Amino acid sequence: MSAQFHVAETELLASLVGQLLDLVHGDMDDSPVRPPEDPLAAAIGFSFADRPTDPVLLRLFPDGYQDDDEAAADFRRFTETSLRETKSNAAATVLASLATAEGARPDGDADAEVTQGEKIRIDLDKEQATAWLRTLTDLRLALGTRLGVEEGDEEHWGKLPSDDPRRHVHDVYDWLGWVQETLVRALSL
Amino acid sequence: MVTAPVELERPEADEAVRLDTPWITIVWNDPVNLMSYVTFVFQNYFGYPKKKAEKLMLDVHEKGKAVVSAGSREEMERDTEAMHSYGLWATLQKEGD
Repeated sequence: MSAQFHVAETELLASLVGQLLDLVHGDMDDSPVRPPEDPLAAAIGFSFADRPTDPVLLRLFPDGYQDDDEAAADFRRFTETSLRETKSNAAATVLASLATAEGARPDGDADAEVTQGEKIRIDLDKEQATAWLRTLTDLRLALGTRLGVEEGDEEHWGKLPSDDPRRHVHDVYDWLGWVQETLVRALSL
Repeated sequence: MVTAPVELERPEADEAVRLDTPWITIVWNDPVNLMSYVTFVFQNYFGYPKKKAEKLMLDVHEKGKAVVSAGSREEMERDTEAMHSYGLWATLQKEGD
């Protein structure tokens, strides 16, 4: 399947996905080594067991059990690392699609002339399209959580003055939803 | 020499649950995920036919949650993890809790 974007859109996507990658993967590289109690985790040298305090991370890695903190901590310890990897890999797939797309600006070539209406075509196979869907969701979850979106609140966002910076972020959030909707329809099973 | 584990056929969420596999996976409604995407996830991961996937999605959307699978605790942990990997919010619990 093929998707068309304006250059500005692909650059926005690349920027957002890059930030998501930092958020999801960044913790894994920078975190100090904690002595895990679990022998398997000790062998790997790393584990997540604490519920994230960042609301975005908490939404990306929610509790697997309600009303059972111990079970939730165990579940987190066993799944969060691999979940971060899945999300990182999906984000990396999206970045690779954007970088190799037809019409993409060559790396670092800031002087390359790009006209306003220049289109980029991205070809995706099913696996890549699924990675895009995962990443688009993660982006929407991140933005939606930061904005504090709620069920049926579209009117509230529509009423925000155009100079309110949150309005712009919400517009991006909406646009990501439109991209995702288009992709799901193309993959329609 | 060991044999590879065989994937057991997953019991349907609305079938009577056997006494030895009394765990369920619940997907909760959230204000971000698209209805079309949630339906896609149910089809893509569970292999549910479109009608069933849509019905479950509507249950999540209208009732706030839906039971999307049932089985052993281990199976439900796998399903819950998978749902999280797709950005859905899911939890597992003993059936009847």
